[in-house]
Amino acid sequence: MIKKLASFLKGLFHPHDYFSILSRDRYKSLKIRIVLIDAMLSLLPLFIVVTISYFWFQHILKEDFRNQVKWQIENTTQSIEFFIDEKVSALRFLASSYTFEQLSDQKMLTDIFRKFEKEFPGLVDLGVIDSNGIQQSYAGPYPLTGKDYSNQEWFNEVVVRNVYVSDVFMGYRRLPHFAIAVKKDCPENRTFCIIRATIDMKTLKRFASNINLRENDDAFVINHDGILQTPSQFHGNVLERFSLPSLPSLQGGSVLDIKEPGGGRAIFGYEPIENSPWILVSIIKSTPYSRIPKIFRNELLLIGIGSVLIGVAVTFLMAQTVVNRIKKADQETEDAMAKAEQASKLASIGRLAAGVAHEINNPLAIINEKAGLVKDLLELSGDVKDKEKLLALINGIFDSVNRCSTITHRLLGFARRMEATHEVLDLNDIVKEVIGFLEKEILFRNIRLELNLAEGLPKIESDKGQLQQVFLNIINNAVDAIEEGGLIEVSTRVKDKNTVLVSIRDTGSGIPKDKLKSIFEPFYTTKEKGEGTGLGLFISYGIIKKLGGIVLVESEVNKGTTFTVELPISAEAV
Amino acid sequence: MKPTKVLLVDDEVEFASALSERLRLRNYDAKALYHAEDAMATIMKDKPDVVLLDLKMPGIDGIEVLKAIKKFDITIKVIILSGQGDREIADEGIKVGAFDYVMKPVDIGEIITKIEQAKKSR
Repeated sequence: MIKKLASFLKGLFHPHDYFSILSRDRYKSLKIRIVLIDAMLSLLPLFIVVTISYFWFQHILKEDFRNQVKWQIENTTQSIEFFIDEKVSALRFLASSYTFEQLSDQKMLTDIFRKFEKEFPGLVDLGVIDSNGIQQSYAGPYPLTGKDYSNQEWFNEVVVRNVYVSDVFMGYRRLPHFAIAVKKDCPENRTFCIIRATIDMKTLKRFASNINLRENDDAFVINHDGILQTPSQFHGNVLERFSLPSLPSLQGGSVLDIKEPGGGRAIFGYEPIENSPWILVSIIKSTPYSRIPKIFRNELLLIGIGSVLIGVAVTFLMAQTVVNRIKKADQETEDAMAKAEQASKLASIGRLAAGVAHEINNPLAIINEKAGLVKDLLELSGDVKDKEKLLALINGIFDSVNRCSTITHRLLGFARRMEATHEVLDLNDIVKEVIGFLEKEILFRNIRLELNLAEGLPKIESDKGQLQQVFLNIINNAVDAIEEGGLIEVSTRVKDKNTVLVSIRDTGSGIPKDKLKSIFEPFYTTKEKGEGTGLGLFISYGIIKKLGGIVLVESEVNKGTTFTVELPISAEAV
Repeated sequence: MKPTKVLLVDDEVEFASALSERLRLRNYDAKALYHAEDAMATIMKDKPDVVLLDLKMPGIDGIEVLKAIKKFDITIKVIILSGQGDREIADEGIKVGAFDYVMKPVDIGEIITKIEQAKKSR
């Protein structure tokens, strides 16, 4: 998985390893890469921030809720502590206000009980036990006078500690309750007695249920041995053992996150109740804090999706623009390279052709002279067999020599270092003159001619004769390329502040794309054998190049061809 | 009338021999010379009316030969035999006193016309 991711990321930055497989079009793959990298760079931080915010927010809410739980537990614990203190104080008051004899009086104790009952809800009974553990007097609903408590644990505890609060127990009454006992010393007869009040467990339960509970939540009291002191909703009834696996040691109060046996999570809060054997426990399974993040989450999601959409759209547009620009730049470079390549190719072909022409010229001169001599001798001699035929044959040699000579003449004439003259010329005038040469042929062939010559075209410094030669050549080719009734459009215009151009468009047969690159090469011709030397465009190209200009061609088969000649206005630019 | 004396100086033996023979057939006193080094001696001895001179010969500067001819006798007319593409040299020759030039391959009619013109201008 990690390896895969790594190779994917590597692919992003080294497209040839990865994306070349995905896409054969390198611009498309470049676009995909830019979109992916950009989206990753811009959206990843957003995702991280959103995710962190989400979890922080949730954490803060949960923490807040835990604090609430803790606060509630502490409050309730304090209430229970206050309740117990109050009871202990009341019993101590009893002990100090009355003598043992007074308290042993059944009638008196009943009176006191009646008064206490009103003040302290949940009080079940009140008893006075002597130092032997025998209940001397008792006020309450059960007949417990004379009961012996000397063997009970709480009796021994209170003797040692003076005050004792018991666990909840069933006792003789078979009802869950707890006892608060206070020791009263009687120094006059060197003895003591114990005043004991029992209180209904329901009182304690009421305190626990004061904790703000929701469905699934639970709050109850246990003792230090884990015995439930009040009934719980999910963790057993009163006096049953409260069991929770891996319960923390319940020293001091705390609020913890625990795992429930069912697998769910809960907040477990507890707090020991001072001066009592109890611990208040609260187990909160409800998660009210999770409802708020839901709203927050939806908003985050909306913002997130919105950002992603906008981000991707912007990235896509950006990538499109960048890739298009790169594509255009590449295209321009490619074109420039092709042009440079063609120029250098033509230049070397030109040199080669000139060299060949030069070498051929001498033998050509010899053939010419030898044939001439043969002709002279033939003519001077009397009757020779087949004389006429031989003379005709020699004339044939002359024709061929002339043809060769025309080619070498043109090639060498072109290759010659040309001292181009620089006169100030009106390009429109030159075009008109050239059209003048060809007018008859154009009329004869029923060709439509359109002239769109720009008015006020700046005059240029160039060589008139050579320009005429070039335009004649190109227009002548156009005339040859079109059928009767076709169109030739010659237009001139300013290209920029340094350049003017002449474009010659015809509606002729056009040049196939694969042949377009060869048309400026020497001896390339589509004309019938013997009709063209194939040097016209080669020489035109060379001339325009020498004049500091450029010849461009666009063509579509069966639609026509456009030649554009761009020329510098000033000869200094050459 | 004495036939016009024409001296042909060209290192291309086949060309020069054939052309000189053709000129002789046309009643010119034509002679071909294949080595430029011998040219001046022959010219001084023969005193031709017209010299047909190739300016591009191995080992020798045609222009210098031309200058020497003109220095020896300004009335000797020199017609330059020029290869295609050697127009610059031909033009230079005209500047230093050549009468005219002809381009190889040579049209016999053209050269005879030029020889006649040269002779007339003497």
